[in-house]
Amino acid sequence: MIDVDTSFWGARADGIAALERELARLRRAQSAHAREQGRTVARAAVLNLIVYADREPHARRAAQSISDLARRHPSRAIVLLADRRAREGADARIEMHCHLPTVDGAAKQVCYEQILVRARGDSDDRLASAVIPLLVPDLPVFLWWTGNPPTDGRIFGQLLRLADRLIVDSADFARPHETLGELADVCEQARGRFGVTDLNWTRLTPWRECVTSFFDVPAWRPFLDKITGVRVGYAVDMDGRDSNPSQALLLIAWLASRLGWRPLHAIAPSEAGGLLFSIERADKARIMVRARPRFERGLEDGDVSGVRIQADRSGERAEFVVKRQPDPRHQTETVLVDGRVRWERIAPLPSPAIVELIGEELAILGSDRIYEEALRTLVRLA
Amino acid sequence: MAATIVNPLREGLRLSRTPEPSTIVIFGGSGDLVQRKLMPALYNLALQRLLPGSFSVVGAARQPLTDDQFREELHRAVGEHSRTKPINEEVWKSFADHVFFIATPDERGYDQLSRRLDQLDTELGTNANRLFYLATPPGAYEPIVKAIGAHGLRGRTGWARIVVEKPFGHDRESARALTELIHQVFREDEVFRIDHYLGKETVQNILVMRFANGIFEPLWNRQYVDHVQITVAETIGVEERAGYYEQAGAMRDIVQNHLLQLLALVAMEPPAAFDDKAVRDEKVKVLRALRAIADGDVARSAVRGQYASGFIEGAAVHGYREEPGIAPASRTETYVALRSFVDNWRWEGTPFYMRTGKRLPKRSTEIAIQFRVAPHQLFSREASEGLDPNALVLRIQPDEGVSLKFGAKVPVQGIRIRSVNMDFDYGASFMVDAPDAYETLILDALRGDATLFTRRDEVDQQWAFVDPIIAAWAASPGPPALYEAGTWGPAEAEALIERDGREWRKA
Repeated sequence: MIDVDTSFWGARADGIAALERELARLRRAQSAHAREQGRTVARAAVLNLIVYADREPHARRAAQSISDLARRHPSRAIVLLADRRAREGADARIEMHCHLPTVDGAAKQVCYEQILVRARGDSDDRLASAVIPLLVPDLPVFLWWTGNPPTDGRIFGQLLRLADRLIVDSADFARPHETLGELADVCEQARGRFGVTDLNWTRLTPWRECVTSFFDVPAWRPFLDKITGVRVGYAVDMDGRDSNPSQALLLIAWLASRLGWRPLHAIAPSEAGGLLFSIERADKARIMVRARPRFERGLEDGDVSGVRIQADRSGERAEFVVKRQPDPRHQTETVLVDGRVRWERIAPLPSPAIVELIGEELAILGSDRIYEEALRTLVRLA
Repeated sequence: MAATIVNPLREGLRLSRTPEPSTIVIFGGSGDLVQRKLMPALYNLALQRLLPGSFSVVGAARQPLTDDQFREELHRAVGEHSRTKPINEEVWKSFADHVFFIATPDERGYDQLSRRLDQLDTELGTNANRLFYLATPPGAYEPIVKAIGAHGLRGRTGWARIVVEKPFGHDRESARALTELIHQVFREDEVFRIDHYLGKETVQNILVMRFANGIFEPLWNRQYVDHVQITVAETIGVEERAGYYEQAGAMRDIVQNHLLQLLALVAMEPPAAFDDKAVRDEKVKVLRALRAIADGDVARSAVRGQYASGFIEGAAVHGYREEPGIAPASRTETYVALRSFVDNWRWEGTPFYMRTGKRLPKRSTEIAIQFRVAPHQLFSREASEGLDPNALVLRIQPDEGVSLKFGAKVPVQGIRIRSVNMDFDYGASFMVDAPDAYETLILDALRGDATLFTRRDEVDQQWAFVDPIIAAWAASPGPPALYEAGTWGPAEAEALIERDGREWRKA
């Protein structure tokens, strides 16, 4: 069996007490320099973060992201690596490693403690018992589940009971529609005990913001009630294999839930591929909404690449268009009335790096009602 | 605020109230303030997508410039002064498309400005929402305000607001006159007097510290607090501001606005709500309760100083009177120390010591709440030798944060007590680039939130406090006490606090 990279994960410790001793030793070592200058070193932590991963590279990528965020969100991160494949021949057991990566410019403070809990074999029963004593008391607990959350799994349920917030990424879901449905059920059960975040929803924030800002303009606000069609494009890879439409679906579901639209039914995909829905507006008028896969360079699979909203009002036809620029860092926002450009601007599109997304989410504690409503609508879409 | 139909998509987004589509009209064209602060702030707001969808900037000044020349000047300025670099050319270009310039050397110019604004309303659907920004020297305020009124620049629909920069008057009389002038065209709730200190995150954090926490406020009174020290220390000298500073001095430049704002925030009663009326009502109450340093007390409770040559960070620097543009016999103060009281139920008998100065050894703005010592000395004198009274220090800049000083046992046999600092480092706990104060304030003004702006009665009380001290100094024959640059001010300032058996903190 291969051991983990101790230069990244730190030395192995036998048991919780040894681990805490090792952490204390590391803290002292890190603060020695500061103490020479007569300063007392504080340990800063504003949250506990439990990361669940079943592959070492995933665990490592997550740990790296949290470490990059340490100055913004000082934390204790408990990375659970459940090595299920190592079942045969080995007893189920748990190993721990700890590490205090130095954080640039934060010499006065210890602001990131990283603990790896590595479970080999079938350890679902015992994993939670290793996590509970490691949590810093009285701080909120975020559970970041990488990959598909097994919503009926035992370990998922146990860890969720400890958490104030669950973070998942529907861009990684193998069967998005199914899993998003299960996630909606999880939200239902949460009932304020914990909030649910989908990083894919966070990626949509800039899109939601600019679609929204069109209708802040009093002259254009009335068109919002008279939308006749919506088209959302999302990226797929070159060979156009079926990819993950969760982001596009969430955007459509968000519009629908905010505007009181009622999904009627999904229509078989057209030749161009993608998804087509028949939807009933709040005033009972029927409209078509389409999610269209497109190949675009520089985009991750599933990322929204453009939105086009059409609306008719007292004989005027307006189009509100947001399009990614060829360089994916900017987008163009355009308003056309009767085919003529009335207004246009270019705005930066924030980097969708996972670090940024997580950083944004860690700042929020409560549940996101708007997301949950969109999710419920999404379930009814197809 | 103009009634608008609710946008149902807005719910749950970062800004629950974004500014409505609007135009900002900047008087002062591409002057220093516009280049260093205003434009970089607007550009960064655009970069963060915090500006409304339809937004335009119209610069106005006496000298003629084309739109393109104006844009070019601003582009250069933003490139130099923006807190985010390098400049994002695509965003800038799209932003600059809605930047215009109108020369206003005479009445015809203002008519043209008026037409341009109407035209923009039609093109962009901005509904004549207009924010006027006075970024000119104060001498130019009067003709501009009058022209806004005379040429109907306010527009027929939509809202109109005016932002006024400091200095707001040079004494109580002139501040009142200025308010009256502005009130000919704008209502008080449309006037936004900027004190950029209030836009700083850490200054707002004073309110959060005090009123979002349950453990500090019970101690925040005369019973537990021995005294309060407020320090605004600068290392810079008078720089290029000689002309203004000779007339103003530290009292008008810092005490009247920034220092008294800090005092108000730290001493105020809890407001009933976090809105412009409640917060500012409480601040005014504190300023009213601030004990005047009247004629006879000035010598005892106020110290002025002026820097002589010395060393700052190892480099030799000139004295104030040797600086370019300063009169060789100038009596302008570059240092002020004050001792006053807030005469109300909470603070009766608790001294507030305030000091500010240029060419002090270190740049530091902080508020220190010095608590009383423990009532009974349990431990021997030698054991507690290293023990200072508890202090809670709110550091405003640099190194924004909070420290609490308390006694801890030194780990040796027997008892020996030392003071230790528990530091909360604002920057390290939320390592987001704090927005610049101007970004916060411009956005607030566009949204119509006046909480962080100074109201007329506040300004009035501020002047009421500083005017008599300035008058007494003007009447006294002696010059300000000299202090060597790079020291913590004149010996008289030490004496001011030592008379009470206390000392200035090592900031």
